[in-house]
Amino acid sequence: MFPIELSEWAALAPVYILVLSAMVLFVFDSINPRTTNRAFLAGTTTAGSLAALAVAVWFLLAGVGTPQADGGFGAISLFDGQLVVDQLALFFIVVVTVVTSLVSIASYDYMKGHTYQAEYYTLTLLAATGMATMAASNSLVTIFIALELASLPSYALVSILKDNRGSIEGGLKYFLIGALSSAIFVYGISLVYGATGFMQLDAIAENLDADYGPLLGLGILMLIGGFAFKTASVPFHFWAPEAYEGAPAPIAAFLSSASKAAGFVIAFRVFTTAFPLEPTASVIGVDWTVAFIILAIVTMTIGNFAAATQTNVKRMLAYSSVGHAGYALIGLAGLGAGANDVVMGAALMHLFVYGFMNTGAFLFVGLAEHWGVGRTFEDYNGLSAKAPIACVAMTVFMFSLAGIPPFGGFFSKYFLFTASIDAGLLFVAAALVINSALSLYYYSRLVKALWIEEPVLERESLSQPVGLYAAIVFAAVMTVVVLPGFGPVADAAVDAAAAVVA
Amino acid sequence: MRFEPPNVTEMNEWIAVGMLAFVGLLIPLGMMAVSYLIRPSVPETSKRATYESGEVPTGGTRIRFNIQYYMVALLFLIFDIETVLLFPWAVVYLDAVESDAVSLAEILGPMLIFVAILLVGLAWAWRSGAVQWARSPFQVEAEADRP
Repeated sequence: MFPIELSEWAALAPVYILVLSAMVLFVFDSINPRTTNRAFLAGTTTAGSLAALAVAVWFLLAGVGTPQADGGFGAISLFDGQLVVDQLALFFIVVVTVVTSLVSIASYDYMKGHTYQAEYYTLTLLAATGMATMAASNSLVTIFIALELASLPSYALVSILKDNRGSIEGGLKYFLIGALSSAIFVYGISLVYGATGFMQLDAIAENLDADYGPLLGLGILMLIGGFAFKTASVPFHFWAPEAYEGAPAPIAAFLSSASKAAGFVIAFRVFTTAFPLEPTASVIGVDWTVAFIILAIVTMTIGNFAAATQTNVKRMLAYSSVGHAGYALIGLAGLGAGANDVVMGAALMHLFVYGFMNTGAFLFVGLAEHWGVGRTFEDYNGLSAKAPIACVAMTVFMFSLAGIPPFGGFFSKYFLFTASIDAGLLFVAAALVINSALSLYYYSRLVKALWIEEPVLERESLSQPVGLYAAIVFAAVMTVVVLPGFGPVADAAVDAAAAVVA
Repeated sequence: MRFEPPNVTEMNEWIAVGMLAFVGLLIPLGMMAVSYLIRPSVPETSKRATYESGEVPTGGTRIRFNIQYYMVALLFLIFDIETVLLFPWAVVYLDAVESDAVSLAEILGPMLIFVAILLVGLAWAWRSGAVQWARSPFQVEAEADRP
């Protein structure tokens, strides 16, 4: 199926394309500093991420990462196994590049009139590069470097509105908690290295040494701390509402979808490749799934209960994204009970659908900020009279996030639910259902505000910015279309999961 | 009955680490506690004033200062990291050229790309005024920003 035989280094082509687009922006901005040519900047970013997306999809279809027994090319390991391009990596590169392109299209309108145009798009591309590298990292060193490459531009992006107190405050909190969790994470890496003598994930799995059980256990616990920060899960979730609220809305969408997905891919890869369940349990004395069962239940409960009490729409979405991190954690909590690939595949599907519906929801908030209607639920009252198309899209996102049947979010939640029952995690399944029911309350509250409530003030007609509308409508269409097209997505997710948990 | 020394080889070696941490906390806390107990308290205005190397304190603590030095520090990092990677590469370079296992493009190419990426970054920083020393407020153009 490969039309041309490529050499091995070409397996990282999606990442190279992202780097190359960032370099183009650097050169362009060096030639014209302070350029306001938004069309070129947003266009290059979108074209770069779409090209990376196309290459990643092509690789997936052509069979990169598919086991050679099934006629594929097998997982391609580069630089002595420091990076690996398999189905899991390509799947998450697809998620990251989709979100990046949606965000850059929407930013064309949202960032209009901002001083630092080129910086904004360059940082977005560099962060996307970091996230794509995280997806392919196969060693604790490359994971840490990729994580920092994704985090550092994100801190700058959150606080890019330099004259806005909320933006600076959110960026500072994000940075401080990020620095703390990076320190904990790198300490965890050093403990794991001390206990096993290796950084490369496969080598760690072969050298789990019973002599250093407590050391390894502590190291694993600290690694979980680092993953919790990146995925905005309890105990390192409290940066999320502040950072998302202060950040420009497209960046909030970017962080809550792409950055979270990238955090999950390293968590999935480290725990399935480096710490296989039974050998690790015999060394450290406990199953690490216990930690994830607790984290999943606590994260989804805290996220949803906090979201239910918010009056600010962006904060509500931020806490709901914490809750969704809890749902995706089931992918790790449910391992070890037999159908490993189905459990993790369900989490991958959820992150894929979430990439569309959550990005879309944050972009709608960006559209509302672009109109200047305000931030609370009351400010959104009666928007449907002036902007019906965007409101239909937002309704789709809300019902999909809540998990109502006709939309993509229902399917991924349903798979998570059945997978957690199959894995014997009745408590987790119950928490999933209860929290989804609760989430329906606050999601439908927003839908009610959009469609039923009367506006507090009479509004003039609202503008229809092309870029924001295009991104929102595309995300909404994908949230719905994913339903008939769920077969291939589910197959790709389960295959990707099977490749690492086998 | 004969005195038996404790068998230190049987002791868990982590006890030593824990002891170090314990003593490390105990000493500063103990010093603070003892000085709290024995010091006389005689508050005077000049004692309560902020200490600025013997000078009379002036102004508030929340002043704005130019952070341009950090730009230079950041630019220095570019060259610093470059050296860290260039050094081991230069050490193995000649051996790699002589061996037939790798072609010249494979040895030289990655490093040239790496240096080129850093140069693009440096050129961009230079062009956008990172190395231009302290500009007066008149030179700084009005920077509009979205609320």
